[in-house]
Amino acid sequence: MLRGRVLWVLASVALALGVWSPGARTAPVEPVVLGVPTALGSIEGADSLRAVQLAAEEINAKGGVRVGAVRRPLQVVSIDTREHEPGIPIHDALAALEKLLTERRPHAVVVGAFRSEVLLAAMDVVARYRVPYVVTIAMTPAFEARIASDPAKYRYLFRMGLQSEYFAGNLARVLGYVKSRHGVSRIQFVHQDVLWAKATVGFLETWARQAGWTVVSSDAYPTGATDFSASVLRARTGRTQILVPVFDMPQSGVLLKQVKGAQLPVAVVGFISPAVPATAWQAFEGAVDGMVQFVAEPGPLAVRALPKSVHFNRAYGQKYGEEMRMKLSGHGPGPSYDAVYVVAAAIERAGTLDPDRVAEEIRKTDMEGVIGRIRFNDKHQVVYGGLPQETAISLAFQWRAPGRRVVVFPELAAEDEIRLPAGLGR
Amino acid sequence: MSEVLSVLLYGLVQAAVLLLVALGFSVTFGLSGIPNFAHGGVYILSGFVCWYLLRKLGWPHLLAAAGGVAVAAVVGVLLYWLVIRPVRRLVLAEVIATFAAGVAMLELFRWMGLVTYEFNLPPVVAGSVTLGELAVDAHRLAVVAAAAGLGLLLWWFGRATRTGLALRAMAQEEYTALSLGIREDFMATVSVALGSALAAVAAVLVLPLGLISINLGYDAMLVALALTVVGGTERTAGLVLAALLLGVATVVASVVLGPHWSEVIYLAAIVAVLAVRPSGILGRLKELEERV
Repeated sequence: MLRGRVLWVLASVALALGVWSPGARTAPVEPVVLGVPTALGSIEGADSLRAVQLAAEEINAKGGVRVGAVRRPLQVVSIDTREHEPGIPIHDALAALEKLLTERRPHAVVVGAFRSEVLLAAMDVVARYRVPYVVTIAMTPAFEARIASDPAKYRYLFRMGLQSEYFAGNLARVLGYVKSRHGVSRIQFVHQDVLWAKATVGFLETWARQAGWTVVSSDAYPTGATDFSASVLRARTGRTQILVPVFDMPQSGVLLKQVKGAQLPVAVVGFISPAVPATAWQAFEGAVDGMVQFVAEPGPLAVRALPKSVHFNRAYGQKYGEEMRMKLSGHGPGPSYDAVYVVAAAIERAGTLDPDRVAEEIRKTDMEGVIGRIRFNDKHQVVYGGLPQETAISLAFQWRAPGRRVVVFPELAAEDEIRLPAGLGR
Repeated sequence: MSEVLSVLLYGLVQAAVLLLVALGFSVTFGLSGIPNFAHGGVYILSGFVCWYLLRKLGWPHLLAAAGGVAVAAVVGVLLYWLVIRPVRRLVLAEVIATFAAGVAMLELFRWMGLVTYEFNLPPVVAGSVTLGELAVDAHRLAVVAAAAGLGLLLWWFGRATRTGLALRAMAQEEYTALSLGIREDFMATVSVALGSALAAVAAVLVLPLGLISINLGYDAMLVALALTVVGGTERTAGLVLAALLLGVATVVASVVLGPHWSEVIYLAAIVAVLAVRPSGILGRLKELEERV
């Protein structure tokens, strides 16, 4: 009799636990998968992936992304496309993208192509697999032209990183200011022989001639080049005053060492990706001194006018350490971090993971981010300008001893004016 | 006039760089007939070793450089016994095995993520020197001096030391050398270790001009091959002459035609010399073979 009662009680408890246990009733929550197919061996690619992971972690700490009635965590999956390496063909990078899309089935892709050549080729792949795709590194203006050519087909593709025409336009504004202020007139371009850099320098050359500059030369170097002696010699013989480098390869910092070694009386104004991080002063033994360095998007340094950039730098430093924060590159991390928030917000507004509805919501984005105000134009490019309250912005800073980065552009965020070497110009 | 002098000076510096990079490969091939196509891998490996000892362990520059050279020599010994010896005298197999070892080393570094701008070495001599109107960093002049010194030292080594003479004997007529009591494995080990150590010396002197970049390992192979083919394998003078010709030609081509053309010069030189004078500018091996 007693044994029967005990059994009855145990059975009741077991039944009650079975009925009420949340774990037994609730199916496991599937994560929202974000794919990151990019050149992870590049500084920009690796930093961008870390920025994406940071943003995903922050969102997950607040409960994840609300998809309809369910909160789901973000899961980041990545693949190395190696497209920044010399000799890696475009189809290898595309194969890596397809592998990620078919095997990991991400609900959206962020960061995306590193090379413009790969981006253009990847657009059809993305359209075929119907996955929202927010690119943050590749810069070619041909992306927008392609979207304009078939908006329905390419409705899943967006770009948050700087486009090379914006970059060139901002650089032209600074060069124009330097010319009028200091009376310099001889300019030389040195660039990487890749699509975005060629497009940038092509625009700048045309602009410079129209603006009354004498263009000494325009030298293209293959990716991976470490000897820039030819340009140093041309600068000397052509009496160059302003040297404009446009590179996104680690080896390009060597140009600054060669310019310093040759004691060229020039000012360097341009973009050399390894000269952006705070560690560049030490790495290049002070050869960056005086360089006016463009930062494609805010991210690698905290700017008072952009509160999210201050938060991003603090959070990045806490998660990855101060040394890693100091190495943040100037192109990719800021918009990559923002891209996660843009996609998460779009999913929440759509209330579903349906790619068409998510893409439609991404298109409507209007939010404040690390890079400024994020809004897309009708060709799915984030609008860049000079007012952080109105648009996303790019920055320029000048390296000053003993290793300070002083913001000099745009005017609303500038901390000081550009200073040229003594004896240059008027 | 100053433009011509500038090009000539940078051409001379470039010739010194090419000579330093090619010396190790050429010495091993010229002295023992071993085509060590892992040369580029050893070149970059020793750069990373030097960087690690200098930047991470805080060793003095000279000691870190010596450490890089020592490690490269040990790697050379291992290369001979583990990679080359099992396929010794099978020339094609030697080429394939050493090339594979070199590529494996370089791609391992890439896989390890050793690809950022932080991997650089400081110049041996800091500062700049002004020659008339032309300023050039002192390290470049040190590279020229080091290349000249090493070239002379190796010329003396091959002609005035017993080991050098034994190595040349092995390269010229292996079986006769063996009959005279020259130990084949020992000599071959010495030649590969010496070539690897020279690759490390080149790394310590040349890499401060740029970065420790993995692609430079592949470039080093191309340069070494081009100079060895153009100059011929038997005489150091041939190598020096090839370095001077290619050095000035690449600088002139990159200034006049554009930087892309410098790579073309190496490949064109290889093709042209093989077609017109297969023994190289100062080489005579092919001629002798044909006469025999």
